[in-house]
Amino acid sequence: MSSRILPEFDLLVPQSVPEAVEMLGKYESKAAVMAGGTDLLVLMKAGQKTDYVMTLDEVPGLDYLIYDPTDGLRIGAMAKLAEIVDSDIVRTEYPALWQSACVNGTPQTRNKATMVGNIMRASPAGDCCVAVLALGGTVVLQGAAGRREVNIDNFWIGYRQTARQAFEFAVEFKIPAKVGKSAFKRLTRSDQDLSKLNAAVSLDMAGNVCQGARLAMGCVAPTLIRMKKAEEIIKGKEITDAVLKDMMEAVKAEVTPIDDVRSSAWYRKEVSGVLMKRTIEKALA
Amino acid sequence: MKTRSITINVNGVAHSLNVAVNRTLLQVLRDDLKMPETKYGCGTGECGACTVILDGKKSILSCLTLAATMDGANITTVAGLEKDGKLNPVQEAFVSEHAIQCGYCTPGMVMKSVTILAKNPKPTEEEIRRELEGNICRCTGYVKIVEAIQKASEVMAST
Repeated sequence: MSSRILPEFDLLVPQSVPEAVEMLGKYESKAAVMAGGTDLLVLMKAGQKTDYVMTLDEVPGLDYLIYDPTDGLRIGAMAKLAEIVDSDIVRTEYPALWQSACVNGTPQTRNKATMVGNIMRASPAGDCCVAVLALGGTVVLQGAAGRREVNIDNFWIGYRQTARQAFEFAVEFKIPAKVGKSAFKRLTRSDQDLSKLNAAVSLDMAGNVCQGARLAMGCVAPTLIRMKKAEEIIKGKEITDAVLKDMMEAVKAEVTPIDDVRSSAWYRKEVSGVLMKRTIEKALA
Repeated sequence: MKTRSITINVNGVAHSLNVAVNRTLLQVLRDDLKMPETKYGCGTGECGACTVILDGKKSILSCLTLAATMDGANITTVAGLEKDGKLNPVQEAFVSEHAIQCGYCTPGMVMKSVTILAKNPKPTEEEIRRELEGNICRCTGYVKIVEAIQKASEVMAST
């Protein structure tokens, strides 16, 4: 049970990226990195202990959304979900991300919460996470030796585990340009609730023919996953009812959900194919 | 650091404080500054009772904000809305439209409503309801609250 009281910790307030890296180099896994804090502080109130909290609040220059028609979108570590919701570029070029940001948390939490923070949380239910997995992209990690990029396909390595090393922090997420048609959908008990199932797709269409597809789903495995068999089924084909039916069967066979407080394994499996079909139809609409 | 010296501006008054780093902005407002008008609801970001306004425009949850990270910030609480002894139009509308029952969610509701109208002076009912998603009221059923915001929108447009 949550005491809803924050345990004691030491606060680290770096004033620059190099200072943040230096602090992480010193404290490594003893330090939790905080962007908006809307998730970390809730976890800590529920009993998660950490010796140090390093806030990125006073590190200047991380709160950007930069779009280039060739290079795509760069989202800084401190760009808030509210800024994604307010961005015309995200709404028109990356509908899956925009739709997921619009329902992630509440207006108040979106004023502090960040998309990069949502990715770093590595929850298998993250709404923005399933969107970025469908869109594709890379997490930019900063360490003392410089920056490295990790493809989102390889970033979540287990339940709440990422490819980040303890001496690094995420400074940016990059999404390529021209990701095709995309959409996000989720199932919740009530609007504000966490997803019991979520899905996002991006489809590279040439007329009616699907040339490439990334189909992502959350809440059905220890991490968010791509439905690779289902992707293969729709690739190179016209999206007809028959193709969608095969795709739905493949999704159902690929998911391995569990029973938890928000839903049952049986229900999640039953509706997984339907949700993916509807997300594809939403992207193509 | 276990404590941090900060200066925060609350309702136009600067306060220099030395705060423990694990104290929330809500705790500092209520306990240290003796400003109990901002309410503690769930403590976990679900209910919106602790909503305050940051730097004149952003609604944030004071229960999920470390006071130590608010150095130099401008915070408005519901007690800071009145001007020259006159209530803000949103506050007046909550009274005139009977949008208050037990009153516990009201400070958070009013603060959120002020930011809704600042960004979108003529919101539709759907827009109001969507923006109020993070504020829970267990008494009113929300109808009166939505009506109060619509009324405040009309009053503000005509003045």
